[in-house]
Amino acid sequence: MKQLLEKWGKGIGIYLALMIVFPFVMPDEYYRSVGIIIGLHAIVTIGLCLLMGLAGQISLGQAAFWGLGAYTSAVLTTKYGLSPFVGLVASAIVPGLFAFLLGRAIAGLQGYYLAMATLAFGYIVQIGITEWEPVTGGASGMISIPQVPFFGDSELSMYYLIWAIVTCVLVFSLNLMHSRVGRAFRAIHKSEIAATSMGVDVRKFKLNAFVVSGMFAGISGGLYAHYMGILDPQPFGLHESIKFLTMVVIGGMTSIWGALIGTVLIGFISEGLILLSEVIPGLQGDVDTIVFGGILVLIVMFMPEGLVPRIRSAYEKAQAKKAKETAAKTQSGERVERKAAT
Amino acid sequence: MTELLQYVANGLVSGGIYAIVAVGFITIYNVSKVINLAQGEFLMLGGMVTVALIGMNLPYGLAALLAILAVTVIGIIMQKYIIAYVKKANPISLIILTIGISTLIRGIASFIWGKDAFSLAPITTNEPISFGGVTIATQSVWILAAVLIVLLLLWYLMEKTILGKKINACSINPMAARLMGISPTKMSMLAFAISGATGAIAGIVIAPLNVTSYDIGVLLGIKGFSAAILGGLGNPLGAAVAAFLLGIVESLGAGYVSSGMKDAIAFLVLIGMLLVKPSGLFGERSVGKGGL
Repeated sequence: MKQLLEKWGKGIGIYLALMIVFPFVMPDEYYRSVGIIIGLHAIVTIGLCLLMGLAGQISLGQAAFWGLGAYTSAVLTTKYGLSPFVGLVASAIVPGLFAFLLGRAIAGLQGYYLAMATLAFGYIVQIGITEWEPVTGGASGMISIPQVPFFGDSELSMYYLIWAIVTCVLVFSLNLMHSRVGRAFRAIHKSEIAATSMGVDVRKFKLNAFVVSGMFAGISGGLYAHYMGILDPQPFGLHESIKFLTMVVIGGMTSIWGALIGTVLIGFISEGLILLSEVIPGLQGDVDTIVFGGILVLIVMFMPEGLVPRIRSAYEKAQAKKAKETAAKTQSGERVERKAAT
Repeated sequence: MTELLQYVANGLVSGGIYAIVAVGFITIYNVSKVINLAQGEFLMLGGMVTVALIGMNLPYGLAALLAILAVTVIGIIMQKYIIAYVKKANPISLIILTIGISTLIRGIASFIWGKDAFSLAPITTNEPISFGGVTIATQSVWILAAVLIVLLLLWYLMEKTILGKKINACSINPMAARLMGISPTKMSMLAFAISGATGAIAGIVIAPLNVTSYDIGVLLGIKGFSAAILGGLGNPLGAAVAAFLLGIVESLGAGYVSSGMKDAIAFLVLIGMLLVKPSGLFGERSVGKGGL
């Protein structure tokens, strides 16, 4: 733990404090459930961030892995009466397996081709879930999915369960970034050719990133199913994938913290929009799509590196400036002293 | 046999629409190396603006013409103020950018027109035409005619006119084109205008066949993108052929397998294609150095 603190400094401390305190600052069941949903999204976006920021790949079908996880666990527990824990393990494995197969198939693809392939995969999964009615309940969905028994099933205990998992995922990803694997990923991001020539097995690394991000999404999906208790195929489509993309892009693709902060930010913006639509009666249609679309466009235009890296570099610049100023001050001070001496 | 022919006829109609979208993609891609994922929204806007203008008691023809014009202007604005701004972005950023634009347009459309579906009267009649056991809507004939005219005009523009040569020059080597006094930025703007206009036309002609609503652009855009990739990015002829094939495969799938699986079949074909031959059916045409 001490080592952890040394490695990431205050960040993780602040995160833990905020995370633990939040349900008591907002002691409303509704805000706790918002916190839970944000946590679930964060697990997906941290995985997506590993894929996009580190491996430099894009996935426009992340919601499909989410949905696969949700339905795997839901079907196993509801139809076959297995324990939710077994369901959750399966909800990591099955999407991981799909990610492996898809990733193996498309590991050679880049840019637009990759985008198209993941987009197509997302549609196939959503349609598949909708059409496989005997198992998934089709468009009308599934009901009475059991809760995860974790110190009772109140919103509060669920909140801590989810955020404990978010923390594990976060620590895992941060560790990964600072390891040899992370460096290899960053090399791939900069230049695949250079990485290959340095002995990095690009295909393998990209595939691993794909599988890990798929598994994260799957776990989150499984938890989502048990938390909600009901499921239908609607939230696992392109709209959700774009939402995940927005979360990662706004925080900064290359930063795990960015993904987390972006998720929280988008979560609060969504809540704010819901409040706003209650206040302004004339608001119709998907106001949130306008906001998300606008954010994506503005970020790529004016802040392509994202919020967190931008703030970090601004902070570092300010630090450097301060250091320079103090250095200049002491230097001029010295000069004055020297003058006085002569 | 008539069943099969019926499916093929249906497939040709939807394939025609995909062809327009796909060629729109490629027109932009060749000049600016941008895949404009907002292409489907051009179709949606074409249909919706026409409906809205007819709602203001404008005659059909005028409404359609104004809608095409409006979408063309939107395409130009998009290029001039957004795409041109991020000249040096990598493909991932460009994908995110155009997805953002498409989401934004869709959101604004749902804000203005709501989420209801609207219908547009067919250009001539609602009477279906029977042709040796195969029945198609009269509007389908209009669609196919419009598609063929648009594709032919585009071909003529690209291959036979000096403007087309300029666009090609920019796609092959923008630097050399600039030295010859051709502005790649202007040509890129022109490409956006062309795909805006063709997209709007496609959107208007298909609107009477189904209903039109704020979200029809997504799937149409993605299908067009699929066709563009199936045919080999950068190859307009390949894309058009692939689009018709995609339409037919989809329609056969809907007929013989399950109508719910229609879209999934199209995408499975695409993924399969990417596995076997990522460069597309007819090979990716080398599009030179292109770029803004």
